[in-house]
Amino acid sequence: MLKKRRPLQSKSEIVLRNIVVIFLVVYMLIFLVVPVVIAFAGSFHIWNPLNGTYKWAGLDNYIRMFQYPTFWLSMRNTVVFCAVVVFFRVVLGLALAYAISSKLMKHKTFFRTIFYMPTVTPLVAVAYVWKIMYNPQFGLVNHLFGFDINWLYDSKFALVAVMVMTIWKDFGYAVILFMSGLISIPTDYYEASNIDGANAWQTFRYITLPLLKPTMVFVVITSLISYLQAYVPVMVMTEGGPGTSTFLSSYLVYDQAFVKYNFGFASAIAFFILIFTVILTIFSFKLTGETSPRKKVR
Amino acid sequence: MWRKVTAICLAVSMMVLTCACGKSGTVTYKGETDTNPDKGLEVMGDHVTYDPNHLVNDGDPIELDWWLWDAPDLFGSIAEEYEKIHPNVTIHIINNPWDGFWTKLPLALQKGEDGPTLFNVHNSYQHLLLNYMEPYDIDIQDLEEDFFTAKSHEIDGKIYYMDFGIMTGAIYYNKDMWAAAGLTEEDIPKTWDEFREVAKKLTIMEDGKMVQAGFNFNGDFENLMQGVPYQYGDTIFDETGTVPRLTQEGQIETAQMFLDFYEKDHVGDKDFGTDAAQSFGQGQSAMVYRWGHFYGYMETNYPDINYGTFEIPTATEDPFAYDRYNGESTPGINKNATPEQKEVAQDFIRFYLANQEKQKELCMNYSLFPSNNALRDDKDLLKNPAIQAVSEHIDNYIWPGAMPATLGDNLKIACQDMMYNNTPVEEALQNAEDIVKVDLSNQEFVASENLYYRYSEHQ
Repeated sequence: MLKKRRPLQSKSEIVLRNIVVIFLVVYMLIFLVVPVVIAFAGSFHIWNPLNGTYKWAGLDNYIRMFQYPTFWLSMRNTVVFCAVVVFFRVVLGLALAYAISSKLMKHKTFFRTIFYMPTVTPLVAVAYVWKIMYNPQFGLVNHLFGFDINWLYDSKFALVAVMVMTIWKDFGYAVILFMSGLISIPTDYYEASNIDGANAWQTFRYITLPLLKPTMVFVVITSLISYLQAYVPVMVMTEGGPGTSTFLSSYLVYDQAFVKYNFGFASAIAFFILIFTVILTIFSFKLTGETSPRKKVR
Repeated sequence: MWRKVTAICLAVSMMVLTCACGKSGTVTYKGETDTNPDKGLEVMGDHVTYDPNHLVNDGDPIELDWWLWDAPDLFGSIAEEYEKIHPNVTIHIINNPWDGFWTKLPLALQKGEDGPTLFNVHNSYQHLLLNYMEPYDIDIQDLEEDFFTAKSHEIDGKIYYMDFGIMTGAIYYNKDMWAAAGLTEEDIPKTWDEFREVAKKLTIMEDGKMVQAGFNFNGDFENLMQGVPYQYGDTIFDETGTVPRLTQEGQIETAQMFLDFYEKDHVGDKDFGTDAAQSFGQGQSAMVYRWGHFYGYMETNYPDINYGTFEIPTATEDPFAYDRYNGESTPGINKNATPEQKEVAQDFIRFYLANQEKQKELCMNYSLFPSNNALRDDKDLLKNPAIQAVSEHIDNYIWPGAMPATLGDNLKIACQDMMYNNTPVEEALQNAEDIVKVDLSNQEFVASENLYYRYSEHQ
């Protein structure tokens, strides 16, 4: 049976709706669609909007991109960065959310606030503080753990150091999302599993985890998208160094566009990242499944 | 009904807000009218002269915006002095932070006469600004007579901006550490070999750990690599001024020499702090290589450190050149400003260039060797250790030109690769050269090295 559509209440509601929709569409057109189209056209040009250079270059920027040694290095770094940071964000977020949601846990609000604080702190400020903490002479990290490592100037550790900072900064967001996911799971399932004699691991494995799948997919996909665009931590902490060992693809875009003013080349790389993001997102959807897990459990 | 009215009002107000950034109509200037052309003031300057005894803009009120990224009080004082002579002129000083300045300024200049009439220039951003600049309406010969670096800024027989002062590198040394090591003024090194021996004496190790670096160049390696190879006669670009050459013998020798300071002589360490300037300020390093602005940095952050300066050592007694230099530039004029504004801006630039007192103040503030020949032997300027260190051979420093960022950036990457990633010197420099070549292939950059007076010797 077709569901009957609720009629709009009044003419004024229709007017208001139209105005809001028009503004949203205009906003999206001006600040999203138009810049994307301009950048796409720019990727086929030698382009510097600041001095008015705009010369046709055909596929040169794309050819140059595939031949540019820093490009492949930055792509490799980006994949490693995304994989590690997303993995730890999910694992840490889920573990802590599970722990906080436990009936045994006291002072839940306190822990929730503490874990969420890094997320609401400005990234640039956090990156600067961590940069000081990584200082080989007076940094807290070496003092605390008794290391003698020049974290941000040693290619073996620099990317790791940036990843650790990013995980610390962002895991709180996953904690909050997983907590809301856990709260939304009906208690009936847990009562049923209890009656069936399931132990804690079995309850987590066969009840909690499948029912958290939509939250998990959301966290993984949004994390992937945001980490593929990550460049601020690199800009503040290492500037891509030592050498090019911490160049991420989005930092390369920034470097080419706003340091070297090769906007055409930067646009070509940005479009490659866009396609890469789409492929990775589809792959993630396929991997984590799109069907409602709640239906499966039932 | 009221909801409808509210919705329409909301929509209209948002549209008004959206359109509020549009251009206004005819500009009318407020302010004083000047009717007195005879100011009773003397003509200023040597070859570039300024006679204040005239009216600008026929004495009618006029306003100009002057964009800068630093020292608004100092630059503002030049504007104030000019406004005193010409009370019908109002110059608005607009100070923007350096970050973002080079994006905001070209975009503002694209707005034509709505952009600033005057703006401070940094030569490394010349490629972004030149399309919007009006050449100075001053005889080039006069400029070259007064300013010894003026010729290097000539573009197709015109000058759009030039240097009021130049800056280069020198060695800063901690006098207390120097004395504690038993060194005297007699020990100031002239060559890198002498420098190495002095650095060894200044290095202190305790239990196998460095507690005082004799020489620290962490964070400055790429700056050394852009200048020291000139001592061997290696220019960064070929004779055409367009093809970078970063793998010549002198460049390889220079890189190896600095790496050896750390790896063989152990006068410093790549992990002994990440910033040589900070290390020097905190009394951990005895010698650093820094540019002139380090004087201001020390005054502000570490006023208690007792330090001196000396000229950069050289590879031979008579080097091809000592180091590279860079200039701090005079303002540019917006070519799309109104004719009235441009006329006043040209008059102001003439005032600026003829005003030796203000140029001296600027050079003092930034620790710059003055470009104005009349200030060369100024005693006050020579008291500044950053200026004093480079004054003797200032003519033997090279300006490579308004270099695109890619060169410095890729040399930095090469230096970090050599220092931290153990990449062989030749390989690191070759990588840098290859990328710079690709990056420059789309740009119209031509180096100015051939303007150096000894360039033909090198050829």
